[in-house]
Amino acid sequence: MPQHIFDKTVFSLSEVGRSIQKTLRNRYTSSYWIRAELNKLNYYGQSGHCFPELVEKEGDTVRAQMRAVLWKEDYAAINAKFIEVLKEPVKDGVKILLLGRISFDPIHGLSIRIMDIDPSFTLGDLEKEKQACIDTLVREGLFEKNKELSVPLLPRRIAVISAETSKGYADFTRIIDQNGSGYRLFHMLFPALLQGDQAAGSILNQLSRIRKVIHHFDLVAIIRGGGDDIGLACYNNIHLSRAVADFPLPAFTGIGHATNETVTEMVAHTNAITPTKLAETLIAYFRDYDNKVRDMAENINHASRQQLTQNRHLFISSVNQLRSGVNEQLARERSGLRESALRLKQESGYLVRHHKDHLIPHHILSLQTGTTYLLEVHHRQMTEKLSELSSGTKSLLRDNGRELKGLESSIEQLHPDNVLKRGYSITRHKGKALKSGQKIREGDLLETTLFDSVIQSKTTKTQKKKNHD
Amino acid sequence: MTDKPAYSEAFQELQEIVADIEDGQIDVDALSEKVKRAAELIRICKEKLQSTSEDVQQILRELEESGSGNEKQDG
Repeated sequence: MPQHIFDKTVFSLSEVGRSIQKTLRNRYTSSYWIRAELNKLNYYGQSGHCFPELVEKEGDTVRAQMRAVLWKEDYAAINAKFIEVLKEPVKDGVKILLLGRISFDPIHGLSIRIMDIDPSFTLGDLEKEKQACIDTLVREGLFEKNKELSVPLLPRRIAVISAETSKGYADFTRIIDQNGSGYRLFHMLFPALLQGDQAAGSILNQLSRIRKVIHHFDLVAIIRGGGDDIGLACYNNIHLSRAVADFPLPAFTGIGHATNETVTEMVAHTNAITPTKLAETLIAYFRDYDNKVRDMAENINHASRQQLTQNRHLFISSVNQLRSGVNEQLARERSGLRESALRLKQESGYLVRHHKDHLIPHHILSLQTGTTYLLEVHHRQMTEKLSELSSGTKSLLRDNGRELKGLESSIEQLHPDNVLKRGYSITRHKGKALKSGQKIREGDLLETTLFDSVIQSKTTKTQKKKNHD
Repeated sequence: MTDKPAYSEAFQELQEIVADIEDGQIDVDALSEKVKRAAELIRICKEKLQSTSEDVQQILRELEESGSGNEKQDG
């Protein structure tokens, strides 16, 4: 009840409060859908209630600001819906469409009691933000930048950003360290939070630490896993996405979730989806390299053997060609020699038969020079053949040398000494070999050369041969 | 970034030798030298699969060094 003091009507504060409360209750009879930004959720763990701070901004200017209340039960229901639809809990900084009642309490003042929040509105908003993040990175020329880095042949040194106790990290290290092929990869953990509001900052911090010792690493792996798909919106954070895209080492992600690919995963060099797959991808580089080296070793082995075989065949066929060529030539020479020898024998036999008594030195001489010439020609040919052969193959020469020796000895038979041995002789008068006996008179001294001796004799009679005039 | 690791170069040289041998471009005299070289390269390549020489302590030291450097700048 207002009091009247002097000439003034005076209200107590609680009366004013109650009045406002009554007015507002009458004026705002139902609940309304209100668009706002959830600036701060202000969750109180002990009571389980939230006292969110709602704002409406235009750029950086705050156009409206109001407190709200979100009772424990409502909060639980709304959060469950958010997680179902957004894979994110209700959190600071998101735009929301809320169903609320305007309420006024004399003690706590004006507030909006939040009864419901439509998660699809927030989802759309987050999607818009995600798209904006992608657009920004594309505009900055960073979106493909990490993908363009080349992974070393063997990514041996891995900087791992993960949580030491997470299942994902355990899966990763188990596969890397027990790969069964004896491949050794070095990995070092840079511990970080991997989900929720703090994750982006935490990962960014570790990325900048890795930058300081970057020469020790080939690759950075961001690994999360084992948790549910909640709180991954951090991977759409523009700062984190940009840092990953712009990182000087190839970034591999294994964040392990079933929701849509986040921007960080999109810009990463390789998004292996899960920590297990990430580890297997790295091992695959080793296996691939190992196989290539093994294949090359095999190819070298095979190709060089093949070449050796080819060369051997070529060599053998050349030797065969040479051998048959030489044999043919030898056969030709041999038959030529035989023929000559035969003719020589026949002719000398003929000569001997017809000039038995008067072997005329002329014939002997022509026989001698002829034979020598023949020998010389053949000897020269043999020598040539020999030197040809020695440039070819020596072993062959050794074989054929024997045949040549045989030939030489048969030619030897035709040497004048050998002819003398067979009973022929040379008769000289005054040192000149006699070709005719016509000028020889009685009493002339003659010298007859035999194979082993020289006989001096005096002419007692000369007589013309009947068939030799 | 560090220089190209030795095993990468070995791998590349190995590829070249394989290509040469497969082409039959190498005569028999050079073949044995090449095969010997290839065996050495294969050893280098294989060794890298099963060895690492990184040291966590060293990396941590380097991190601390650069960390304290930053603090000085800040102060």
